[in-house]
Amino acid sequence: MKLLIADDEPAVRALVHVTLEGDDYEILEAADGVEALEVARGESPSLVLLDIMMPRLDGLEVCRQLKSDPLTSDIVVVMLTAQAQDRDRDQGLAVGADDYFTKPFSPLALLNMVERVRQTQ
Amino acid sequence: MRRLRVQLTVLLALLGMLVVAWGATIFLGARDAARTSQSLQSTIDRFDQLRRRSGELGGSFVSIETGRRAYLLTGDPATYQAQVRAERRSAQLFGRVRELAAPWPTLDPVIDGVADRYRSWLLAGRRELAARQTGGAGAAGLVAADRLADRQFQALRTQQADLEGRLADLQTVTARGQGRTYTAAQSLAVRTAVMVLAAVALITFYLRRAVGAPADALRSASGRLAGGDLETPVELGVENELGAVASDLETMRRRLAGRMEALERLRHLSAQVVGATSLQRLAEVALDGLQPEVGATRAALGAVHRNGQLRLRALAGFPDPGVADDIVKADQELRRLLPMAALRAGQVVGMPDVDRLVKPEILRELAARMGIRSLALVPLVSRGSFVGLLGLCWTEPHRLDREQEALLGLAGNQIAGALAAALRLEEAERAAGEARAVFYAIADGVLLTDPFGRVTAVNRALEALTGWTEEEARGRPYAEVLPVNDQQGGAVDLLTRYGRKVPVAVSSAPILDPRSRVVGGVDVVRDVSREREIDEVKSALISTVSHELRTPLTLIHGFAELLVLRDMSVERQRTAAEEILEASRRLARLIDDLLSVSRMESGRLVLDPRPLDLAAVVERILSPFRAMADRHTLRAKLPGALPVLWGDPDKVEQILTNLVGNAIKYSPEGGEVLVTVEHGEDSVQVSVRDQGIGMSPRDMGQLFEKFYRVDRDEVRRAGGTGLGLYITKRLVEMHGGRIWAESRPGVGSVFTFTLPTSGELAGSGAR
Repeated sequence: MKLLIADDEPAVRALVHVTLEGDDYEILEAADGVEALEVARGESPSLVLLDIMMPRLDGLEVCRQLKSDPLTSDIVVVMLTAQAQDRDRDQGLAVGADDYFTKPFSPLALLNMVERVRQTQ
Repeated sequence: MRRLRVQLTVLLALLGMLVVAWGATIFLGARDAARTSQSLQSTIDRFDQLRRRSGELGGSFVSIETGRRAYLLTGDPATYQAQVRAERRSAQLFGRVRELAAPWPTLDPVIDGVADRYRSWLLAGRRELAARQTGGAGAAGLVAADRLADRQFQALRTQQADLEGRLADLQTVTARGQGRTYTAAQSLAVRTAVMVLAAVALITFYLRRAVGAPADALRSASGRLAGGDLETPVELGVENELGAVASDLETMRRRLAGRMEALERLRHLSAQVVGATSLQRLAEVALDGLQPEVGATRAALGAVHRNGQLRLRALAGFPDPGVADDIVKADQELRRLLPMAALRAGQVVGMPDVDRLVKPEILRELAARMGIRSLALVPLVSRGSFVGLLGLCWTEPHRLDREQEALLGLAGNQIAGALAAALRLEEAERAAGEARAVFYAIADGVLLTDPFGRVTAVNRALEALTGWTEEEARGRPYAEVLPVNDQQGGAVDLLTRYGRKVPVAVSSAPILDPRSRVVGGVDVVRDVSREREIDEVKSALISTVSHELRTPLTLIHGFAELLVLRDMSVERQRTAAEEILEASRRLARLIDDLLSVSRMESGRLVLDPRPLDLAAVVERILSPFRAMADRHTLRAKLPGALPVLWGDPDKVEQILTNLVGNAIKYSPEGGEVLVTVEHGEDSVQVSVRDQGIGMSPRDMGQLFEKFYRVDRDEVRRAGGTGLGLYITKRLVEMHGGRIWAESRPGVGSVFTFTLPTSGELAGSGAR
């Protein structure tokens, strides 16, 4: 199963990498919104983990574009952000995100969520 | 002056005398007439007696003749006897007649003639008688034949009749004399009456001329005066008491006219002083107005200040305005010398000759400096309160007369009103000036409107905010100058004249007059874009800080959880631990930076200045970087001799660490970082040069701002709080230095700062 982690912090990407390592995941990485869109369109991952605060294009916009494009609207989008206000959660869900993880997050909870997504496929 | 009385007295006396003369004439005339008539009456009576006696005499003659003839005829002795008795009687009658006719001598010859004839007759008769006696009847007849006695008798009778005729004539003449006497008395009375009438006419004419006409003239003159005509002089041209009255009236007229003229001048002064709005002008006008009245050539005007003290406010007519200083210097003494009680009571106080004053030496000296000899203090009392003092000065001794004093008192009232008004105006202008200054200086935009919403004034801040100048805005509808749209959330956006939107807070209030009627409105417009910016910065800060805090926290949490809950290779475990270590360092650095910023901004960060060896500091900070950054080349270029700087070694170290750290962070691997120290004239200049990613000019502008981060992924990847350069700049400035950057994207950046070699440290001590 392919999944994409889009975050401008390399260490966060490394954490996701380590968390999902060893199992049958192909992990793609993107450091900003534009790159995330490109990878998502090119590779068609099953799941995208999207940071909201990213350079060039923020995660909310990436999610909106993915969900409005029929080719990418099936991708499960999970927002991953440091912002914990309800407003952000509402904004994320409003643009079509499927779930929401707030930093700091539990890597095992992330793993469980990813497993659930894999089993639905 | 008493001529009229004298004349009248003389005239009346004359009239009285005439009347008395007239009365006397009538009285005397009447008495004379009465007397004349009495004497005439007695004369007439005498005549009557005389005529009677004369008639009796005739009768007696007849008796004698009768007796004689009878005797001749008869010889009867009795007849003889009768004849003798008649003779005797005739003799008596003759005597009586002569006695009665005594007043009329003209009768004497007539009576003498009668007497002669009588005697002749008697003689002739006696001869006959004798003849009879002797001769008897015959003899007698012979004798009587010649008829002498008879003839004689006839002649006597004629004579006697002549006498009676004469008597009758005389009686007629006398009676006529009586009539003449009456006529004379009457004509005298008539003449006197005519004279009295003439005198009365004369007096009347005189009275008309001397009294009537001047009285009429006086009447009309007094009528004119009563009617207010003070122009026409009162002149009679007569020199009696009426003339004196007229001249008194004329004096009165002149004085009244003088008063009226003074009043007129006072009115003029009043009009002038009312027009004087400044105190200086008021003093000048007052002096101009009063100079012709009292002759004063200089004036000083004092006004009661708000603190209740009298102060000199204006001088007029003094050739040297410097005396104001002298007066002000002597202020204290002068104030003590002023007869305030009298002045407050509204009394004009004159000092006719200052040189004669003995006691207050200072006043004499001051007067000498001011070049004046006498002065008058005119209190200025308006509506019962003492508002000021007008000092009028003469260069010569001058004593006010009562009229001048009264005039000055009146003028004082007029000037006081004007002074009070001028002071009120001054106060109002001062207050208005203050209000205006506040209005224009106030930092928020203020706009005033009339009750119809038209702009009457805007202040500088509003001009700057809206783009309308006050001149352009005046008279325009309020909504045109201040177009605002209500935004949701209570915020208001102002649309400026040039189409820019400015967030503002507007508060409005009506302007009310004392009767609570709306006379306008005031709008205070505050530009809240800065506040809104601050709000935005604040929420961005919170967002950034929470993001920056959460990211390392996420890493620590995540890797720690993996370490605890997952089986991992030792290598993986080590990597995870390193990530945790790095994340916690980052967290610590972030917290340090935040604390530094907080301390700096609250002024709690203070320098601890000491002598500083810059070369040693550079070497010290470079060595750990050399150890860590093995893929970068770090070089330092130091001059041979550096002056000893005065600074806080820890802070200088922090500056250098930040700059070198950034240079490494934003340089590709293998790049060179060069630290150069140069010795300037009064400062040491340190540059940190890298061959990194560089920056755009837009980024350069905000480089040293708090939490600013260049929006590029390389930068993001490099991590950072956005506080480093901000802190660095503040630290350099606290040392009295400057910091700037030069950069070209893709080529590299140079950050340069200076540290002064002399002078005080800006950040030393408590700040």
